[in-house]
Amino acid sequence: MTPSILSAEKLTVEARLADGRRLSVLSGIGFALEAGKVLGLVGESGAGKSMVGRAIAQLLPPGFGVTGGSLTFGNRDLVHMGADARRELLGREIAFIPQEPLSALNPVMTIGAQFGEHLARIGTRSKTRRQGEALALLEAVHLPRASELLNQYPHELSGGMCQRVLIAMAFASRPKLVIADEPTTALDATIQARIIALMGEMREAYGAALIFITHDLRLAAKFCDEILVLYAGRAVEKGKARELLSAPLHPYTRCLQLAAPSLSAPERDLFTLSGEMPGLARLADLPGCRFAPRCPNVGEICRTQEPRLTPVTAPLGDDPSRKAACFRTEMTPGIETRSHAASSRHERSSPLLLLVEGLEKRYRSRRGLFANTELAAVDGVSFTVAENEFVGVVGESGSGKSTLAKLVIGLETPSAGRIELGGRDAFDRSEAARRRRVEVAQMVFQDPQSALNPRRRAASIVTQVLEAAAPRLSASARQRRAEELLAEVGLPAELGARYPSQLSGGQKQRVNIARALCATPKLLIADEIVSGLDVSVQAQLIALLRRLRHELSFALLFISHDLAVVRKLCERVLVMRHGKIVDQGMTEVVFGAPQHPYTRELLAASSE
Amino acid sequence: MIVQLLGLFARRLLVAIPILFVVSALVFVVLRVLPVDPAAMSMPPNATKSEIEAKRQEMGLDRPLPEQYAIWLGKTLKGDFGASIHFRRAVSSLIAETLPATIELALLAMLLAAGLGFAGGLLLFHWRGTWRGEAADLGSTMLMSAPDFLWGLLFILAFGVLWPLLPFTGRLASSFARPVHTGFLLLDTLIEGRLDMFLDVLKHMLLPATALGLAFSVPIMRVLRSSLYEIDHADYIRQARLRGVSEKRILLRHALKNAILPTLTLMGVQFGFLFGGTLLIEVIYSYPGLGNLMVDAVRNADLPIIQAVALAYAAVVLVINMIVDGLYLVLNPRLRAA
Repeated sequence: MTPSILSAEKLTVEARLADGRRLSVLSGIGFALEAGKVLGLVGESGAGKSMVGRAIAQLLPPGFGVTGGSLTFGNRDLVHMGADARRELLGREIAFIPQEPLSALNPVMTIGAQFGEHLARIGTRSKTRRQGEALALLEAVHLPRASELLNQYPHELSGGMCQRVLIAMAFASRPKLVIADEPTTALDATIQARIIALMGEMREAYGAALIFITHDLRLAAKFCDEILVLYAGRAVEKGKARELLSAPLHPYTRCLQLAAPSLSAPERDLFTLSGEMPGLARLADLPGCRFAPRCPNVGEICRTQEPRLTPVTAPLGDDPSRKAACFRTEMTPGIETRSHAASSRHERSSPLLLLVEGLEKRYRSRRGLFANTELAAVDGVSFTVAENEFVGVVGESGSGKSTLAKLVIGLETPSAGRIELGGRDAFDRSEAARRRRVEVAQMVFQDPQSALNPRRRAASIVTQVLEAAAPRLSASARQRRAEELLAEVGLPAELGARYPSQLSGGQKQRVNIARALCATPKLLIADEIVSGLDVSVQAQLIALLRRLRHELSFALLFISHDLAVVRKLCERVLVMRHGKIVDQGMTEVVFGAPQHPYTRELLAASSE
Repeated sequence: MIVQLLGLFARRLLVAIPILFVVSALVFVVLRVLPVDPAAMSMPPNATKSEIEAKRQEMGLDRPLPEQYAIWLGKTLKGDFGASIHFRRAVSSLIAETLPATIELALLAMLLAAGLGFAGGLLLFHWRGTWRGEAADLGSTMLMSAPDFLWGLLFILAFGVLWPLLPFTGRLASSFARPVHTGFLLLDTLIEGRLDMFLDVLKHMLLPATALGLAFSVPIMRVLRSSLYEIDHADYIRQARLRGVSEKRILLRHALKNAILPTLTLMGVQFGFLFGGTLLIEVIYSYPGLGNLMVDAVRNADLPIIQAVALAYAAVVLVINMIVDGLYLVLNPRLRAA
């Protein structure tokens, strides 16, 4: 057996609570990573996957610490190593690739200054040699005009370019181990695939072992040699990547697989896993399997005894390393979803709700002192949405899709063109027209964290519209409406008394949707409302929107960069690029037999 | 960047002109409404009513207010601020003598406040969560609670009288002949190449400047500390840690550069207050600056001086704010792109 670069045995990380109790955040994590191999750590937020990376760097949040087990790097003990010795390793032998490339570079230092600092630290003394090395590395990650780049600041670069710079920096010292924590989550789909390919290329060229932390099981299966699936701080399944994805043995892995929408698989419902990952404080109250409260196959034993990660014979393939922490693995393949019922499809004869014609939005950008250039964010866009129709808008960031949403809802004023909502001109700038527009259309914003007023309780947030629409409404009537709305989005009434900070990410997004539904709009405009959420939460929200569509019969303009989600939810799709609609039609047709080269490019990038 | 700086300054100057007009009109009207008669004050006490009336006509005080303002404005634009009633000298030469002294004092005070503020902010951040941090926090609150003139008096008592270390009146020891170049004594002594004189000037300024700057250093400290706190959680700081950059380097090279930006905005705002604070401090330290001139002028209802000094204050504050905005542009590359 080849010696491993990094091995973890029974690694345990504990958090100390304010009341002195200790909670295990990670427990009994074990793996061995050989040189040149890629290990995937897969799980949703709260699973503890990032904690592994932080334990390796010993940069755990305050109050957290490694309390058991071992982490061995080469022959060095990472757990009991002094802070200075470990700092010596970081950036030299162990390198990190971050999640948010745009904010991971210092905004007031040039790329060259940051690169130079790193090269100086890892031992390149002369300034001219540092310059040369930086240029060579930037070219190795396929960045054009590398010498210009060195004098630029991070804000002048795109997210993908920043990530390339950070990848170049990570590999500069020829590290033995590179840890990439969700390196593509913040990037556009078309760029994601290229960054993943680049990491693979660099790993091969520089011979490093890689830990790839991600929430995306399918992506991990493509990129990694071995996968460790984590749930609530426990390793629930381990095995060779392809075998693990093709035949998951742990119910959680199976559910993750079924919850992710796909571009190629035959139409089927997404699996909606009930509930959510238990938070730190609730972990102590789970005596048995941590997944038991949500598990579709839960049995008596699961609630009292905790299963250990033990070798299991997989039904397919021959993977001797395959392990799962479940008492009833034989039942896992039985978890299935219904194949898709055609009933939810929209009837094409519905009356027209939204008409957009020749819509344009131009921004003036100032360059230098006098020169003005005009930039068309939305450039001659025409489309319609019928009543109760779900229409998706896809495109890369900067394609103008968010601006389009703002124009339709009236947050931005069009430079030219016509918008008709419910047969009436919505372009009118009068107060009465604005009120009419608000009655017909509502918007759900992307980030519930910033869209919800942190000083208001959920019940008050969801009924916010009533303050203007029905100022004389009694408090009890408003409370009743709040409870109705919360029930509609599948939240218990008692959550109405909570502040946004006391809600989970999925709950916040439900509140965000409930608020838009309060005035029973005919058109809902949703800007990336499922991006950045865990797959199981995403599947829940997609199911929610589909259910509400039948119950409340509204139309949806769904803006997203995720083609698979759009395919799942919308019967019609508009493909935007540089402010123009380049392709449109029924989703199955546009995605199934793409005609436009750009659509093909988007699809290829997404299914990589 | 230079193009953008020039653009910024050009825009600021364009805005400064109407501001100065408004200030001048305001000062002019307020002073005319006051129940003082500059004509009577400029005459000997035994002057008769008709003599005073004649003087009023000579000074143009009998004409309508808008006309008076127009005349004054016309002269002011030519650099003629009239003659002081009390000192019987051209106001412009009085301002030219005192303005550099005050600017020099205020700048030194701001420099001390910034130095103390940055050092204190870094210490407060370094000591966060320890008893030292708590103690330093308490100490800084005490520093802020005492007003500048109280510090001024305390310093005179402590370092001037009880423990006579530093001089506390005037700008320069009387044994030196005062060099005349720019009016900025720190600069003039250097032009003459007289290090001994330079140090003497500095010694004279040290107590009033410290008294003035002390209270202003605390908000800088606080703002720097809280922005350092915030930046300590930023992604790029974590990424620098993961790259193995030393904590010292992270603080001084990565965090401080970003944390300085909010303090810069604060200092721009503070400078206006600080410049106004020179009034009391100059009186306490008999420092021959704009503040002392203003106090004398108010005492003697010397309208031409009051008008000119008020304009000078406004102009200095505008210029300093322009410089701060320029610095902000230089230190924050994100602004340059917009």
